[in-house]
Amino acid sequence: MNRAREAMRRAGARILAVFVALVAVVVVLGTAAVARAQGQGHEGHDHAGHDHGQPQQARGELGAPAPGALPPAHDLRQGEARLPAGAAARGTGAVVEHGHAHAGDHAHGASSPVLNTRSKASALLFWMFALMTVGGAVFVITRSNLISAVMGMVGTFFAIAALYAMLSAHFLAVIQVLVYAGAIMVLFVFVIMILNKPEDEPWRATGIIGKGAVLALIVYVTGRLIRVLWSFRPDPASAAMPKQIAIPVGTEVQMVDYGSTMAIGQNLFTDYLFPFEAVSLVLLIAIVGAIAVARPHEKPQGNASDGHTTP
Amino acid sequence: MGDIYFQITYGHFLVLAAVLFAIGTVGVMMRRNALIIMMSIELMLNAANLTVLAFARMHGDMGGHSLAFVVIAVAAAEAAVGLAIVLAIYRSRHQADVDSLTSLKH
Repeated sequence: MNRAREAMRRAGARILAVFVALVAVVVVLGTAAVARAQGQGHEGHDHAGHDHGQPQQARGELGAPAPGALPPAHDLRQGEARLPAGAAARGTGAVVEHGHAHAGDHAHGASSPVLNTRSKASALLFWMFALMTVGGAVFVITRSNLISAVMGMVGTFFAIAALYAMLSAHFLAVIQVLVYAGAIMVLFVFVIMILNKPEDEPWRATGIIGKGAVLALIVYVTGRLIRVLWSFRPDPASAAMPKQIAIPVGTEVQMVDYGSTMAIGQNLFTDYLFPFEAVSLVLLIAIVGAIAVARPHEKPQGNASDGHTTP
Repeated sequence: MGDIYFQITYGHFLVLAAVLFAIGTVGVMMRRNALIIMMSIELMLNAANLTVLAFARMHGDMGGHSLAFVVIAVAAAEAAVGLAIVLAIYRSRHQADVDSLTSLKH
């Protein structure tokens, strides 16, 4: 027990050090990039109107035809050619100032801004949380010490909760922390303590060829997925903050924020009531099943203890 | 070109979910310990949740949130049952190595 606690302390200290180093690197790089972009920002902003007009029309179907008009329905298989073109068209008006909603935004057409990334801080936060997510995930699959893997997993879950909050899913961010990081990971830690085998052989593929094959596999799968997902172009109207949800209260209609508890309650208990009840049944069956499977099974006793008394 | 770093779009979230899913898949395929495999499965479920929530925000639809809620609950149930199975296996073999579970092998 002491050994596992010591391992947890060491793993926690190591993870904290790595996280602090990552944050420092991201902050330093981000500040340098922000300073450089601010220097160029004013020149780029003056040409914003002109530069967006020219490349958009020159390339034909790229982006929205007119500001304010919705572009045609997005095409999933637009290929990678759009990405450099879109990036070049956007690169001329790189800096978008605070609170400036100008026609250049709608004329972008291509990947539309999701967050309020008028401020660089939220973009920086996204990269920090994304780095923490991927770092934690890599921790999980590479650590030989099980407790270190669990700590990495908890870091991943916290970062994912922060990303949910960035996607305006506030209720689910809290649920993610409470259920995943707070209950499921605690369950994992309990089982690791019970098994009492914190060390393990990390990789099945041994040797440099095996590790190279694994790395190539990761890169290939990630590349294919990125290629499909990056060419997806949603319409820019979805970039704005989501509309408020209407909840009928008595005879009136109350408007609540997207992603709030009331909004998900309204959806979960009216439109998706059956899945909600079904999942509670699933949880009940899981409890019963877990007890039935993990219960120690004793051999039947053949002596006086089972009630038969010898005359 | 610096716009990709400073303007966060839905594509960023989707790609992040894809990367997370790939890491989880590799973890399931390449690790022998049953607990690490289960943690990698949870990684894949979280990647799917992130994708669903990104698309839900894109359409302004709360159904994605309900789906993510149900997925979290089902993942908790599956983790509980899976850990119970791991415990039962460990009790008879005193190791949690999935490569040693070959008694059904032809």
